[in-house]
Amino acid sequence: MSNERGRRRWTVAATTLFILIVLCPVLFIVQMSVRSGLDAFRMPPVLVFRPTVANYVDLVESKFVRSLMNSTVTAVSTTILAMLLGVPAGYAFSRARFRAQRIASLWTLITRMAPPIAFGIPFFLIYKDLGLIDTRIGLVVIYLTFNLSLVIWMMRAFFDSVPRSLEEAAYIDGAGIATAFVKIALPLAAPGLATTAIFTFLLAWNDFFYSLLLTRSEAVTAPVAIVNFMNYESWEWGKVAAAATMIMLPVVALSVVVRKYIVRGLTAGALKG
Amino acid sequence: MAGITRRRFVKSSAAAVAITAAGVRPSRPLAQTGKPYAGTRLKISQVAHAYAVGLLDRLPLFEGQTGIKVEIDQMSFPVLNQREDLELASNSGAYDVMQMIFIRSGRWIGAGWAEPLNPFIDDAKLTDKAALDVGDFVAGAMAPFRRGDTIYALPWLSDSTVVGYRTDLFEKAGYAKFPETFQALQEAAAKIHTRQTAGFVTEDNLHWIFPNWLLSYGGGFFANPPADLTPTFDTPEALKAAEMFTTMLAKYSPPGGIKLDPSIAQAIMHQGKAACFLDGMGNTQHIIDTTKTTLADRMAFTHTPSGPKGHFPQLAVHGYFINKASKNKNAAWEFIKWAAGKDQMLWSALNKGHLACTRSSVLANAQVRQKFTWRGSDLASLHLAVMKRAGEGYMVYRTVPQFPPVGDRVIIAMTAIASGQTNVADGMKSLQKDAEGILEKAGVKINRRG
Repeated sequence: MSNERGRRRWTVAATTLFILIVLCPVLFIVQMSVRSGLDAFRMPPVLVFRPTVANYVDLVESKFVRSLMNSTVTAVSTTILAMLLGVPAGYAFSRARFRAQRIASLWTLITRMAPPIAFGIPFFLIYKDLGLIDTRIGLVVIYLTFNLSLVIWMMRAFFDSVPRSLEEAAYIDGAGIATAFVKIALPLAAPGLATTAIFTFLLAWNDFFYSLLLTRSEAVTAPVAIVNFMNYESWEWGKVAAAATMIMLPVVALSVVVRKYIVRGLTAGALKG
Repeated sequence: MAGITRRRFVKSSAAAVAITAAGVRPSRPLAQTGKPYAGTRLKISQVAHAYAVGLLDRLPLFEGQTGIKVEIDQMSFPVLNQREDLELASNSGAYDVMQMIFIRSGRWIGAGWAEPLNPFIDDAKLTDKAALDVGDFVAGAMAPFRRGDTIYALPWLSDSTVVGYRTDLFEKAGYAKFPETFQALQEAAAKIHTRQTAGFVTEDNLHWIFPNWLLSYGGGFFANPPADLTPTFDTPEALKAAEMFTTMLAKYSPPGGIKLDPSIAQAIMHQGKAACFLDGMGNTQHIIDTTKTTLADRMAFTHTPSGPKGHFPQLAVHGYFINKASKNKNAAWEFIKWAAGKDQMLWSALNKGHLACTRSSVLANAQVRQKFTWRGSDLASLHLAVMKRAGEGYMVYRTVPQFPPVGDRVIIAMTAIASGQTNVADGMKSLQKDAEGILEKAGVKINRRG
C-alpha cells in the first residue's frame, strides 16, 4: 500500500516537473510581461521583483487592441463559416457513394498541397484588383480557402466512426437525410466538431503569412502587430511579451472550456471494432 | 427651331448655379488659407522608429498648417522590406510616401518606382529652397539617393558603424583605450573572453558587419562598382578579412553569436555578457539605456578599428521618397519637406533621442552635441565623421540593384565558415561562384575569374 503511495507521489512529481519544463517558454513570456525594462535583463536574474502592468497599459493604449479585434473577428468568422460549409460536406463525403468520390475528396486538398508562399503573389494581385487588400473579409476568404479542406477531411473521419445503422434506423422511422444528419450524426460527432473548430480557429488565429501579405494597417492581425514592436533600433521586449500573453489567453481559455471534447475527439475511433 | 421653354430655362439656370457653386466655393477657402492640398489623405510607410514617433507627436502641427491628413504605417524592418517591395512591384499606389531602403535604392530607382524630386525642389511655388537647404544633408547620406544630379529621396536616418564597449573590462585587460586595428581587437578579445563575458558581439546581418573588415583589408564585393560588378570574394584580401571576421564570431562571441538579432546583442551588453558591440549607431547607442541596464556608467563609444588598407566604417541610409504610383504627389512632397526638414530633425534629436541624423546643422547643434556626449564620447561627432568618410564613395557597392541577393549569399558564407561547416578558402570560393551566378542570371556582364 505504502509502495503504491510512494509510486504515486513520484508520478505526480515527475508529471509536475515535465509540465513545468513544457510550460517554461510560456511562463518566461508571462513573467517578462510584468517586469520593468531594467529587471528584464538584469544579471544575475532577479527572481523577486515588483510586477508592473505598464506594458499592458501601453498595449491597450496602442493600435494593438485593434489588431486583436481583427484577429478575433477573422478567426471566429472563419471558424463559423468553415464549420457551416465543411461539416455537411464532410458528412456527404462520408455517407454518399458516387463515382468521382475519391477524386473529389482529393481535390478539396489542393490548396494544402503547396506551401502558402506559392499562392502568395497570385492572391496579392487578385486581391489588389478586387479591393480586398487590408480588409477583414479578404482575410476570412483566404483562411476559409485553406481551412475548409481541413474541416471536410477531419469531419469525414469523425462521421466515418459513427455507425450508419443508427441513421438507417431513423430512415426506417421516416426521417429524411437532413433530420438524420442534424439529430443523429451531428450529436454523435460532437467531440469531433469541437476538435475541428478549435484547430480551425487556431490556424486562423495564428496565421502570420497571409496577414503579413494581404494587410496594411486596417486589418492587421495580432501576430503581425506583435512583430511591429521590433523597432529598428531596439525591440520593445516588455510589449512583445505582454502582446504574446494577450494572444495566448483566448486560445488557452477556449481550450480549457472544450478540453473534454478535444480529448474525446482526438481518441474517437481509436477503439473501433 | 424650338424656342427656350420656361422649364428648360429653369433647369439650365439651376445647373449653371450648381456648376458655378461647385467650381468656386471650395477654391475660395483654399486660396484664402493657402492650403491647396487641404482634404488630401496621405499614407506613409516607414520602419517603426523613434523618428516616426516624433512625426506622430507633431503631426497635428503639419495637418493644421496644410490641411493634409496623414496616416503613418510603422512596421518592423523585415515587414517593411517585404511590404514595400510588393507594393512597388505591383504598382498599387497604396502609399504616397515610402521609406527608401538604401540597399534597395538601385532596384527601385532603376525600375522607375521613385519620383524624381528635382522638379519639386526647383519649383519656387512648391519649395522654399533656402528653408529646405538640400546642401545641409551630409554628402554621405545623400549619395545613395542621387543618380547624377537627380535626387530621388531625402534622407532622415543614417546608421554609421561604431563600437560601444566596456571601459572597465578593456582597462582590466591592459587597454587604456579601445584597440585601433582589427588585429589588435582580436588580441584584446582573446585576453578578455571568458565563459561569462564574451570578447565581442555583433548582430546577425553579416553583410552589413563583414564589410568593415573586408574593405579595411583591401577587399570588396565587386571589382569596380557600379561599372564592373565582377565579384571579388576569392581574392587574398577577401580571404584574410573573412578569416579575421569569422574568428571573432567563432571564438570570441557569446554562444549563438553568429545569429544574434541587434536587440539581443544589445541585451547581451545590458547584461554585461560582452565587452564590446560593433554595429550601427542606431543600435549601439542604446547600450547605455539606463532603463535597461545598470552598467551604462562603464560604457563608452569609439570608431570602428582599421585594417592594413585603412578605415572603412559602413553607413546605412534611409530616406523618404514619393511613390511614382501616388496620386497625391504635390501633397506627398509637402510631407517630405516637413518630415526631413531641419526643424523636425532637430526636434527629434533633442526630444526623441534620434542621433542617427542626416543634417550637418543638427549634428553640429550645441544642444545635440551636449545631449549625446557620454563619458567623454561625442557620439554626434563620431557619427558625422563616419558619414563624411562614407561620402568619399566606397559605399556605392551597396546600392547596385543586385546587392540584396549577393548580400544574402555573403551572410550564408560567413555563417558557414564561422560555424565550422566549411573552411575559409572553400567557403569564399563557393561564395564567389554563387555570386557570379546571381549576377549573370541578373544579366550583368562579369569577367569570370580563374
